[in-house]
Amino acid sequence: MCISRDKWHKRRATGGRMAVLRKKRKYELGRPPAHTKLGAKRIHTVRTMGGNKKYRALRQDHGNFSWGSEAITRKTRVIDVVYNPSNNEFVRTKTLVKSSIIQIDSTPFRQWYEAHYATPLGRKKGVKLSEEDEAVLNKVRSKKTQKKYDERKKQAKVEQALEEQFATGRVLAKISSRPGQCGRVDGYILEGKELEFYSRKLKSKKAK
Amino acid sequence: MATADHQTERAFQKQPTVFLNKKSILQGKSKKNLRYVRNVGLGFKTPREAIDGTYIDKKCPFTGNVSIRGRILTGRVLKTKMMRTIVIRREYLHYVRKYCRFEKRHKNLSVHLSPCFRDVEIGDIVTVGECRPLSKTVKYNVLKVTKTSGSKKGFAKV
Repeated sequence: MCISRDKWHKRRATGGRMAVLRKKRKYELGRPPAHTKLGAKRIHTVRTMGGNKKYRALRQDHGNFSWGSEAITRKTRVIDVVYNPSNNEFVRTKTLVKSSIIQIDSTPFRQWYEAHYATPLGRKKGVKLSEEDEAVLNKVRSKKTQKKYDERKKQAKVEQALEEQFATGRVLAKISSRPGQCGRVDGYILEGKELEFYSRKLKSKKAK
Repeated sequence: MATADHQTERAFQKQPTVFLNKKSILQGKSKKNLRYVRNVGLGFKTPREAIDGTYIDKKCPFTGNVSIRGRILTGRVLKTKMMRTIVIRREYLHYVRKYCRFEKRHKNLSVHLSPCFRDVEIGDIVTVGECRPLSKTVKYNVLKVTKTSGSKKGFAKV
């Protein structure tokens, strides 16, 4: 373990050098970064200080993502890394780190939405729905439950930018967990101002 | 009023405790700006600019994630060249016993300055409170700025 997180190798605030008083200690240790890539799950566990564990994800492809405005969370596949505010290298090598912007598979969210609100989401106009989709969307219901669904439809509007993403089957999300520490890639779907901000960044990158 | 001007970094700046995407906001019936503001305690008033403003600063004592505890000191502003942090100068007298007299000594202190304090000039008196280490040399945060007397009549350098 040659990486150490000590302070005594740095200069003082006045600029003076600090005399070396001791060797490196184990509690000052640092480990090499995980650089979690997109791929079939591979997680190594690390024994840390005090006998605790850290789960170093070396490759991951699934994660638990939440849709904030609807307050639901579903496990989905991660498709692609699209933007990273700290390092463009991470985008090129498809590295998953906290705060990366990624594309996730939108089907679990679409299925929940259609079952909950009984309105189609991200469907192409004019395409006939398959039998099972028909069954979900236009189920024959008793008067009381139909009323419940009609009430829900009032709140069912999804913002335009997000609906377009559902049409392509890939939704933009941001990773909010640390894969190299907990072994999981979890996050939330981008909406509202954040979505607008990152879409603009992506567009300007593409335009270059 | 420029509301999007504070997004100057490559990552989206936001307050982590504020959820921006509630359905009621997304669907357009927008309230006033959601903002997390806290009262730092110890009798310090949170400035109007902190409540009304749109800046994002995680090290601000009023809108960020630092708590003020421990010592409260005052000093005179010396330099304002760093981004969101200033250098203050604290003067004190040291007694020399052999000669029964005092000598002047001073210490400089790097202190975080929240964007809610605008127009801080050198020479202003500033009250700072101790917080957790924000960087290698910054462990204090500006809580109150009192302008030096006489600065109101002077003309600003154009």
